[in-house]
Parts: sequence; C-alpha cells; structure tokens
Amino acid sequence: MSGHEKIIMPGAGSGMPTPIKQSEEFQKLKGTLLKDIQRSAYVYRVDCGGCNGCEIEIFAAITPLFDAERFGIKVVASPRHADILLFTGAVTRAMRMPAIRSYEAAPDPKICVSYGACGCSGGIFHDLYCVWGGSDKIVPIDVYIPGCPPTPAATIHGFALALGLLGQKLKASHHVEGEGERAAMRHLGVPAELRVLIEREARRMAGYRMGADIADDFLGILGTKSSESLEARIQEYLTKEDDPRLSEIVASLCDISNKAMAAI
Amino acid sequence: MLKLFKTILKTGEATLKYPFAPLPVCDNFRGKPEHKPEQCIACAACAVACPANALTMSTDAEAGTITWSFFVGRCIFCGRCEEVCPTKAIVLSPEFELAVANAADMYQHATFKLAKCAQCGEYFAPKKEVEYTADLLKHAGMTTEAVESISDLLHTCTDCKRKQNVPEADKVEFTRYLKGNEA
Repeated sequence: MSGHEKIIMPGAGSGMPTPIKQSEEFQKLKGTLLKDIQRSAYVYRVDCGGCNGCEIEIFAAITPLFDAERFGIKVVASPRHADILLFTGAVTRAMRMPAIRSYEAAPDPKICVSYGACGCSGGIFHDLYCVWGGSDKIVPIDVYIPGCPPTPAATIHGFALALGLLGQKLKASHHVEGEGERAAMRHLGVPAELRVLIEREARRMAGYRMGADIADDFLGILGTKSSESLEARIQEYLTKEDDPRLSEIVASLCDISNKAMAAI
Repeated sequence: MLKLFKTILKTGEATLKYPFAPLPVCDNFRGKPEHKPEQCIACAACAVACPANALTMSTDAEAGTITWSFFVGRCIFCGRCEEVCPTKAIVLSPEFELAVANAADMYQHATFKLAKCAQCGEYFAPKKEVEYTADLLKHAGMTTEAVESISDLLHTCTDCKRKQNVPEADKVEFTRYLKGNEA
C-alpha cells in the first residue's frame, strides 16, 4: 500500500472514523420496537452537510398531500424524542461530530435511515476531500433511501420499509454475457447518414435527452413500412401528442428527410 | 359549522392514496435507470458521462472480461447515461420505490467478454462492441464480404494499428536533420 492510499483509506489509524457498533442486545431491542410499536414513530432529521434538497422533500412528505402522519410518522425537533433518525447529506468533516452527538442523544433502540444519494454513499460529493461519503461511515444504518432527492412518495416507501410495513423492491443482480449475445441494430429502415442528420437536428432543437426521444419516435415512423402514407402517419403521431413545440420540431425533421430523400 | 362541513365536502380529499394505491408519475419522470444487458455493448459511454460515478466499468485483463456496475445509492437521476447510450440499452424508468434495507441490493453488475487483438493477442475491446461496429459498417452501405475482408483490421488494437501505420520504421533516418546541421 502506498502512502497516498494510507491517508485516504478509512480505518482507525488514519483519522477516518469507523462506524459505531451496535451490540446484540441493541438489535434485540430494535426488533421488539418494530414489532410492538403501539404509538407514532417519531422522526428526527440529522443534517450532515447536505444541500437542503432532501429536507425540502422530507417536509413535502409530511404536507397534507402525502400526509405521512396518517401512519403516525411525525417529525420532531429534538433527537431525545426520536425513534427514527434520518441522516441527510454527505457527512462533511465539520458535521460529523454534531451527527454523532444527535445519534448518542437519541434513546435506544433507534432506527437509522440514510436519506438521499449523499446519505447513501456521498452522492455527487463522494470524492471530495472534506467528505466522509455516506452516513454508514459513522453510524450503523438500517434503511437506505436513494434519490437526489427522493420524492415524497419514495420517502413514505422508505419509512414504511424502516417500520417493516412494506418490503423492498430493489434486488441486486449480476448479468453474465451469454453465448452469441448481440446488441440489436435500431432503425435499420433509415439510411445511416439521414439518421445522423435527424438526430442532430432534433437534439439541436429540443435539447439532448428530449431530442433523442423525438428523433427515436420520428425514425421509428420513418423506418416502418406501411400502407398508409408517411405524411398521414406523422400527422397521426402529432395529433396524438398534441404539442405545438413537437409539431415545429417534427416539421423541421420532415424537411431534412425530404431533402435527403430527394438527393438520393 | 354547517357551512364549514359543506366547504369540506366540496373540497374533497387532497391526500393521495399512496402507498395503498400506485402513484402515477408524469411522462418524463426520471426514476431508476433500467439497464438491458442484452442490448449493452459495454462501450462505457455511460460511465464516462455519469457525473456522480454511479456507473463504473472495471476491466479484468486476466479473465478477459469487462464489468459494468451501477450503484443506485450514488445515482442522481440526471439521465446523462440515457442521452449518450448509442444502443438505448439504458433508459430511465418511472420506478421510484428504491429504499433498501440491505446495502448490497443497491448494486447491479453486468459482465461482458473482451475480444483479443488479432496481431498481439491481447484483450483490447468488448466483443459485442466490435461486432456492433461491423454491423454499423454493414448498415452504412458496406457489403458483408467487404466487412469480412477487413475483419482483421476491426480486431486490431490501437497499439498494433499504430505500429502498422509506420511501415518499415527501422529504415527511417530520424537523425537526418541533425546530420544536416553538422554538414
């Protein structure tokens, strides 16, 4: 191991914290809490140096529209009242101690939740010099809620998972390339040069992601053979989508494809 | 009091039924990126584009494999991977219920085979990517025979290509300008 790695690797000797360990007794207590919770689950959110996007979504989740209080989930102002601790933010060097203090202040047993991309792993800030990269680096985490930020619905799903009301949907997967696996070519009915021209124009007019979607739809219509005329099919597509912006872009794409076809 | 009840009745219920009923999301909602490994050519365009390094590629030169990995815990759902994917193997789905209790469930992997260079015998590019290139050439107007005739060229690594581009390199007099100065 080179000296460089020694400095940045987490571990007891390197100045990086090791997560707080939970005793077996603690785990048993937590099981009892989940099974016999006869009252509301109080949530305290711990900001470990986030951008406040996650906080806004947490408060959106307790508004009347999503109303997490239907399930007895209540956001409280002190960690001493909390059953669930919600860690948001990437755990910056300055916010590590306050986060650990609020963890210690919460009564046992407590459930810890990593909230948002930063809480789960450090998110976009994962390789910053002052960032610990995820709340699981400092405290034991029971539930991870990914998202940047998670939507209020995703927040409610995460709370339900933490309280054992709903199951998790995401599963780890590992695909291994099979024999003779081959990527399918797309839009074979359209000449390659024309395809490039259309994709370029659509992306110029509608932005990269939307442009690609529009070019994809248009090339799909252009590439399929049908008894109906091309104009009629495009008109049908535009009527279905009913968007003047799309009509303008598709008109421009039609222009390009007509010119290219005339040249052939 | 009665007036208040009337107002309440007229307003109806604002609270959404979720999680007891599925929550409809809007058309362009950016949820979990859905990867179709069959369609993926392991070109790593998504890994280069990913601003949060949620998508990464790792090469195993010993085993001759390249592994695509996705860590949803780091994903910021920006859709850059969908933008750059040349085969539409990765598309953002409306899936938003991503909470997990087990951290290992946040990872997704796909392993692809590498192709060997015809000249030096080293692994140099994903097999599917080389095949896709041949398909693209065919689509661009090259005949199947013509593509087959350049099969060796397609299966040559950049290092070997560069060496081949300098024919009879040992005969080139690199010092002639220095010699000219002396004279």
